[in-house]
Amino acid sequence: MNTDIPQPPPFIPTPPSAEPALPEKLDTRALFEALLRSPRALVQRLADPGHGALGRFLAIAVGSMLVFGLVLGSFAMNEQLWAAPLKITAGLLIAGLICFPSLYIFSCLAGSRAGAGQLAATLAGMLALAGVLLLGFAPAVWIFTQATRSYSFMGLLALIPWFVALLFGFRFLKSAVSAGGATSNGPVLLWAGIFLVVTLQMSTSLRPIIGTSERFLTDEKKFFLQHWIDSADKTLPLSTEPTTANP
Amino acid sequence: MIRRLLQPDAELLDDPSPGRITRIAGLTALALAAYGFTTGFWRSPQMGVYVALKMPLLVACTLGCNGMLNGLLGLLLGGLGFRQSLLALLSAFAVSALILGSLSPVTLMLALDAPPPDSEYAASAHSGYLLFHVLLIAVAGIAGTLSLHRILRERCASTSVASITMLAWLAGNGILGMQFSWILRPFFGTPRLTVQFLREDPMNGSFLEAVWHALNRFTGGNIHIALFALVPVAFLVAVPILRTLFPRSQPATP
Repeated sequence: MNTDIPQPPPFIPTPPSAEPALPEKLDTRALFEALLRSPRALVQRLADPGHGALGRFLAIAVGSMLVFGLVLGSFAMNEQLWAAPLKITAGLLIAGLICFPSLYIFSCLAGSRAGAGQLAATLAGMLALAGVLLLGFAPAVWIFTQATRSYSFMGLLALIPWFVALLFGFRFLKSAVSAGGATSNGPVLLWAGIFLVVTLQMSTSLRPIIGTSERFLTDEKKFFLQHWIDSADKTLPLSTEPTTANP
Repeated sequence: MIRRLLQPDAELLDDPSPGRITRIAGLTALALAAYGFTTGFWRSPQMGVYVALKMPLLVACTLGCNGMLNGLLGLLLGGLGFRQSLLALLSAFAVSALILGSLSPVTLMLALDAPPPDSEYAASAHSGYLLFHVLLIAVAGIAGTLSLHRILRERCASTSVASITMLAWLAGNGILGMQFSWILRPFFGTPRLTVQFLREDPMNGSFLEAVWHALNRFTGGNIHIALFALVPVAFLVAVPILRTLFPRSQPATP
């Protein structure tokens, strides 16, 4: 029996493509690119003192949210063109602010050694990444804002990009907490759920964001699920006159 | 101190001095007061102040009344001294309190956004509010329990000894704590009842009955839905505890 059968070459898996190295100085453009191309390297850099990323991340997040808000405001036009960007941006910043103390506690529970400053920069980075992704969705959402008058459809169109953007944002956050030495994912996942609920409730507290109203903010208090149910069958009125509907 | 409480190590119980116990107790009281204020705030600001006082009082009453029992169980089961037992239990309560305290901005927003007690949605809002807070407290309680187990595992002779000591403490403090929470009611403030520090008949009834009635009301009187809702909640509570108490055995290294 011939044993000299040529053997196939051993399978050598292709190594995953390495992330591009970060430049020495992180300006806004470098941070923007690092969020998308080198999130792991960026997370490592955030652990260094004096990275100066917090303000720039916030600037990216605010700029992105203003543009996405403008797109959503173009659904109802008129005063919503400035009110929706303002409310979405303010709502996101407030949500980040009120959830930050629990992020610190939950990251400690996960075993992370990340300090408060590093976590603040990471949270801002998460919001910036979510904002950049929303910018990517903005043209498609704008097309639909001009095509429909249904509040529920428009609400769904706003929520789907938000869920997708947050998913990537949470992945970035999880990487940062893991890089800080976290040994379990549970606490960060739990925090992610809390942050998601807070943002959804914030969109209800600051309504109307999609629809129109005679008032800038409503004083009627509702949970977001109740608000969604109440607004499900409403549509944008044909006239440009403000109405009392407030989705 | 916050990080050391949240990530306890073997040295945590090395210094059960009165000063250290006082510092941890103060931190716990502050965190619970912050959370308590937001809990009662939905009913009225006065209620918020009452609950801010009653939350730390609840922990103090539970640990105070069970102090002797906890110390004896710690000594007999885990080989810990009285002050070490108190420090271990207080550290676990501190973990729960820190979690709840860190969530107080979120719960304040919830209180500000919930339909007010005089609105047409008051009954369902109160039930939903109650269940949400019970869920938060359950999560914080689990985290505190896991922390306590981690502390005990570092000190006790074996994992099973640590688990038995913890279960004995949990049973005693859990049952007494639940009843104290009932005696010190109201925490959430039933919309149709007046704001009071204590109810006129504080000893009448029990905590578990109240949760059951809230769940029943929230599901529109459908007891089956309430039962189905309880099963996954109980499962979620039980899994992390059981996984910690009975860890999978590691494969032997050659």
